[in-house]
Amino acid sequence: MIIDINFVGLIITSIMASAVPLILASCGELITERSGVLNLGVEGMMIIGAISGFALMTVTGSLFIAVFGAMLAGVLISTIFAFLTQTLITNHVATGLALTIFGIGISAMIGKNFVGIPGKEFPVLFNSLKDSIPFLSPILFGHSIVFYFAFALPFFTNYFLKKTKIGLIVRAVGDSPESASNQGINVRLVRYACILYGGAMCGLAGAYLSMIYTPQWIENMTGGRGWIALALVVFSTWNPIKILIGAMIFGGLTIIQFHMQAMGVRIPVQFLTALPYIVTIVVLVVISRDSRKIRLSTPSSLGKSFYKDN
Amino acid sequence: MNTNLKISNVTKIYPGCIANDNVSLEFNSGKIYALLGENGAGKSTLVKILSGVIIPDEGKIYLNENNLQLNSPLDAKKNDIGMVFQHFNLFETLSVFENLIIDSDEQRESLREKIDSIMKKYNFSIDLDIPVLNLSAGQKQKVEIIRCLIRSPKVLIMDEPTSVLTEQETSELFLSLKKFSEEGILIIYITHKLKEVMQLCDEVAVMRRGKLVSVSQIKNENLESLANKMVGQNLKTIKKKKANISSDQLIKITNLNFISEDPFETNLNDINFSVNRGECLGIAGISGNGQSELFQVLSGEILSDKNSIEFNKNYIGDLNPQERREYMVAFSPEDRLEQAAIPQMKIFENVALNNFKSSNFFNNGLINEKKIREHSKKIISDFNVNTDNIDLKSQFLSGGNLQKLIMGRELITSPDLLICFNPTWGLDVGAINYIHETLIKINEKNKSIILISTDTDELLKLSDKISVINKGKLSKIMSADEVTSEKLGVLMGGGEID
Repeated sequence: MIIDINFVGLIITSIMASAVPLILASCGELITERSGVLNLGVEGMMIIGAISGFALMTVTGSLFIAVFGAMLAGVLISTIFAFLTQTLITNHVATGLALTIFGIGISAMIGKNFVGIPGKEFPVLFNSLKDSIPFLSPILFGHSIVFYFAFALPFFTNYFLKKTKIGLIVRAVGDSPESASNQGINVRLVRYACILYGGAMCGLAGAYLSMIYTPQWIENMTGGRGWIALALVVFSTWNPIKILIGAMIFGGLTIIQFHMQAMGVRIPVQFLTALPYIVTIVVLVVISRDSRKIRLSTPSSLGKSFYKDN
Repeated sequence: MNTNLKISNVTKIYPGCIANDNVSLEFNSGKIYALLGENGAGKSTLVKILSGVIIPDEGKIYLNENNLQLNSPLDAKKNDIGMVFQHFNLFETLSVFENLIIDSDEQRESLREKIDSIMKKYNFSIDLDIPVLNLSAGQKQKVEIIRCLIRSPKVLIMDEPTSVLTEQETSELFLSLKKFSEEGILIIYITHKLKEVMQLCDEVAVMRRGKLVSVSQIKNENLESLANKMVGQNLKTIKKKKANISSDQLIKITNLNFISEDPFETNLNDINFSVNRGECLGIAGISGNGQSELFQVLSGEILSDKNSIEFNKNYIGDLNPQERREYMVAFSPEDRLEQAAIPQMKIFENVALNNFKSSNFFNNGLINEKKIREHSKKIISDFNVNTDNIDLKSQFLSGGNLQKLIMGRELITSPDLLICFNPTWGLDVGAINYIHETLIKINEKNKSIILISTDTDELLKLSDKISVINKGKLSKIMSADEVTSEKLGVLMGGGEID
C-alpha cells in the first residue's frame, strides 16, 4: 500500500483542527483553575459561544462581530458563575453543573430558528502558500486566525503564568487565598478576572465549532468536548504545554476513528466512536498515578470558596 | 528617627464576644514590647487590626501622630507596619523568591540584590529558588521576616512566632529581633509564653478577655506575677509523683516504617519503643516531623505490618481503630473538632461514636438512645464538662470542654493505654491543668499513656520516659529525670547529644 505523503499531511491538519476547541477551552479553564476556582460549566459556556457566534453571523453577517460576540457571550454567562461563586459564595461544583445544564438548554432554545441554515465561509490566512511545500504547507498554511491563535495560546499561557507578575498573583491566589488576601491582594477581583477570561476562551472555542469547524448549528453540537477540555486540564497537571499534547491525542483518535470507519475496518462503529473518550480516560488514569506530582501542581485551594470576614 | 505608635480606644465586637474592649496602648521605638494573654484574650484581634486585616468597630490608630486608616493589609504595608503572622502567609507551591517578589514593585535583579544584602546582614541563609514547602518552619519564618524587611518597616509585629520553632531557632530569632530593635524598628511581640517575655522584652501589656489588664516594665515583674495577671487567679502547680513503674510490658513497637505517597506528609523510619504498665512515654518534636503520621499508625488510621505493633501479647499492626479499641486502647487525636468529634452532631451522638461493639448502645442495629444519654451524662459529670445539655452540638463546646468530653469518652471504659496527641493544644490554663491532672491519674491507676506533644514543658511534667521525633525518626528513649528542655531542643532540631 502506498501512502500519499500529502494525505498524511491532510490527516495531521484535520487532527489539529479538531484539537483547536479543546486547546482554547482548556487553556481558559486552566487560568480559572489556577486561581482556585473549579468551573464545571465549560460545556455550557462553549455551547453558548457556539450558538451566539452562529446566530450573530447569520443576523449581522459580520464575522468579526460574531467571533467577539461569542466571546462576550462566554464572558456574560461566566459572570453569572462568578457572581454566584465569588459574591454569593455558592458551591463551585453545583454552580458549574447548573451552568452547563443552563447553557445546553438556552442554546437549544435560541438555536431552533438557526437549524439548517448554512454557515458562511471563514477567511483563511496564507492560502497562496498552501501548495509551496509538499506535506508541510497544508499543515502550516491556509487556516483561520483562530487556528493560529489556539496553537500559540498554550505557549502564551505558560509564559504568562511563569514569567509575569499577574501570572504569579494568579498562582498565589490559587495556592492560598488567605495568604494572598493578607498580603493585600484582592482575591475576589483576581478570581472574577480569571473566571471571565475562562468564559471568553470557552466562548471562542464554541464559535470555532459552529463557524469554522462545522459551519452550521446543530443542537448540542459541542458533544462533550467541554468535559474533555476539563479532563485535559487535570490530565495535564495544570500545564498548558501538556494540554496541547493531550488535545492532539484526543483530536487524533477522533479523526483516525473516522478514517477507520471510512476504510471499513470491522470494528463496531459504536466502539470506534467511543474510542477517543476511552483512551483519554485511560491515559488520564495512568498519568494520574503520580499523585505526588499532581498534588504539587494542583492549585491547593481548587474548588474551595473564599470569603474575607471582617 | 523615633517611631511612636498609639492605639486609642479600640473596640471590636463579634456576635457573642467582645474581642477588644476599649483598648488603648502606646509604643515607642527602641524597645521591645510584649503583648501577653491567653488564647482568646484578644491579642490576635488587636494585631490584626494593626495590620489592616480586621477593621475595628471603634477607635483610632496613630503612627507618629498621624491617624491611620487601615482598611486592608495594603494600607498597613504602605504605612510601614510589617507583620509576621502565627500561621505563615506564604504560598507553599511557589518558590521563595516568587513569594518575596509578589508584593514588591522592584525589578527582579534589584530585589535579589536587596534580599541577598538583608540575608547577609542578619546571617540568614535560604535558597531562594526552592518551593517554600521544602523549608523548615524556622526558615519559613525567616522568609516572612525578610518580606517585611524589604519594605524597611518602622513597626514589626510578631504574632506567636516561637510556636513552631526549636529552642535554638528561638534564640536565633531573639538575637535578630534585638538587632532590629537597636536599628530603630519598633517591635511588638505577641505571645502567651511567659519565659519568652522575661527573656526578650522591655515592657509588657497583659490582656484578658478582650480588656487591657496592665502595662508594666519587665524589671518590675516575674513569672508568677505575669501568670496571675494573665489568668486572673492564682494558679496551683501540679507535680507528678514518682511512681514505681512495673516492668510489665504493655505495648511494643518493632521496626515500624511508613512511607507516604504524599509530599506533604513525613515518612516514618524504623520506629522502635516499648511502654510498660503505668508508664507515660512522651514523644517530643516540632510539629510536622512525623507526629501526626505516628499517631495515625498507632491508632490504626494507617495500617502497618501486623507484627510491628505488639499490644498485650497480641499483634495488632493490621487492625483498624475500631478493632484496636476492642483490645482496650483509646485515642485522643490532635484535631478535636475534625478528627475526634463530629462538629454537627450532638454531644451524646458523639459519645456513641467510638463504641460500636463492646457496649450496649445498639440493639439489632438500632440506637439505644436512653443508654447513650445516661452514659453521656455520666461522662459530663465525671469529667467536669461545663454543660448540662447533652443535645448541644459539639461544635459549640469550647476547646477545653470538648477535650474533656473526648477524654471522658475515651477513658470511661478504663482502657489499658491512652494515646494522645497535643491534648492541651490551644486550651486555657485552667483546662490544661485539669487535663494534666487527669493524665496523671491514669498513670496512678497503673494504666499507660503515649503522649505525643509539641509542648516541651508539658512533656517534662507528665512523662516518665521521653523520646524526640525528628524528620520521622525517633531519638533514643531517655528517662525523664535526665532530660532538660535544652537537650530536647537540640534533638528536636536534628542535633545529637551524648
